[in-house]
Amino acid sequence: MTQPREQNTLQILEIKDISVAYGTKTAVDGVSLQILRGEIFGLLGPNGAGKTSLLSAVEGLVKPIAGEVIVDGTDIRDNPALVKSKMGVQLQATSFHSQLSIKQLIKLYAGLYGVRMVPSEITAKLDEIGLVDAVSKPFKELSGGQQQRLSLLIATIHNPNLLLLDEPTTGLDPQSRRQLWGRIERIRKAGGSILLTTHSMEEAQTVCDRVAIIDHGKIVSCETPKNLIEKHKEDEKVKEVARGAVTLEDVFIGLTGGEIRD
Amino acid sequence: MTSTGESLVERNPNSRVMFRSLFEADLIALKGNRRSLILSIVLPLIILLTTSSHKAQQSLGGTLLIIGLAITYGLMSTSMLGYALNVARDRDKGVFQRLRVTPAPTWMIMTSRLGVQVIANLIISLVVVIIGASIHHLTLTPGQYALVIAVSIIGGAVFLSIGQALVGLLRSPDTVNAAGRVIFIALALLGIVGLNGALGSAVESASRWSPTGTFMTLFSGVLNLARWSNTDSLSLLACMIYILVFAGIGIRWFSWAVE
Repeated sequence: MTQPREQNTLQILEIKDISVAYGTKTAVDGVSLQILRGEIFGLLGPNGAGKTSLLSAVEGLVKPIAGEVIVDGTDIRDNPALVKSKMGVQLQATSFHSQLSIKQLIKLYAGLYGVRMVPSEITAKLDEIGLVDAVSKPFKELSGGQQQRLSLLIATIHNPNLLLLDEPTTGLDPQSRRQLWGRIERIRKAGGSILLTTHSMEEAQTVCDRVAIIDHGKIVSCETPKNLIEKHKEDEKVKEVARGAVTLEDVFIGLTGGEIRD
Repeated sequence: MTSTGESLVERNPNSRVMFRSLFEADLIALKGNRRSLILSIVLPLIILLTTSSHKAQQSLGGTLLIIGLAITYGLMSTSMLGYALNVARDRDKGVFQRLRVTPAPTWMIMTSRLGVQVIANLIISLVVVIIGASIHHLTLTPGQYALVIAVSIIGGAVFLSIGQALVGLLRSPDTVNAAGRVIFIALALLGIVGLNGALGSAVESASRWSPTGTFMTLFSGVLNLARWSNTDSLSLLACMIYILVFAGIGIRWFSWAVE
């Protein structure tokens, strides 16, 4: 059996020189990052910058061509099941078995993470997210906000050490977004660490302890939101796009360019 | 198994618990798809009902071959159209991606799917044999029923492996659906028209050794064990080769990712 590596107890996730390629196209190019325990870390980048590819490499969905992903002291290549059991994942576009009800889905994913849940516990969990009346509905019949809440519940059903959220607030109304931020904060207070990707600068500024800006597969800058603004507010490109006091969005556009990405 | 609410994860989940959860979910999905299961039984029943006359039995090679033909079509439709299309759709929707980020290994996810489909195949085979034996006034011993189950598992595996090859080689659900229908029609025609020699001896020979032909030969062989021949043994071998080749293709080129 593989022994855990020498562990930095402060870090929950260590990404070392990761590169991901699809055929000849390099999506992630030698990225290194560390996420600390109890930290909410935001990954920002334009479309196609490499955010989802980097997250996919951490989740074990794509095999990097180089580099290491170490979660809580274990390399994902050494023991993928253990690493995956320590992570909770909410994918960008989540889909579950269409014939299964919400209750059955919760039971399925609880079983996959080795969590025993009696019906009253399932009801209590659904009550927490306001879905107790929808217990027999299939996932596809829920609204966008309800689907997102259920996805997050399923991602955290096993109290993971590390939670990975890929654009969790896309398509949500302001109320749902605020509720989600509250839930993320509660997960952190319970001892979890969170890595999320987002296009929302407001979200990054409000929720994240640190953020990294990724573009063309490389990390351009990594700081606390406040320090990121301080560090780049005098950059010519940032000043060009700023309208008044420099914001995180100005820094983001200044660092990644103003052209539209597909 | 840990109880909910405990602190953060320190060990691997139990494989048995993971598999049971997956299998239960796939069984529920199968029950949810019962319309498709019923449709897979309707076609064999139509064959059984429309071939009950003496003339039809003679031209199709006898009662046992007719029941074999009916089971073949049931297994073909549920495996090549039902299974392959469901897998392609779930892959396209991201159901597999969601499962792959859990600790469950990919072999377990696929084994659960296939296991549930094997159960569906057995249900179809048993229903068709029982009704077929009744319509065609055939009395089967418990031993013969056991052999029917064994052969149905082999036949189901042949068509499941063809279905697996389809989703392995083709990505889009629409293409899998279209290709599945074309192959279904081709194999069905080989079974009905090819085997009776109406299209000449070359086609008859090709039909005999097609997946449809070998399975039907094997099926009638086990229901008439006293007349088991070399051809029956070779049909069994051919079925095994089909399973290995098509399953090999389907597994080797299967992609879990959303297109």
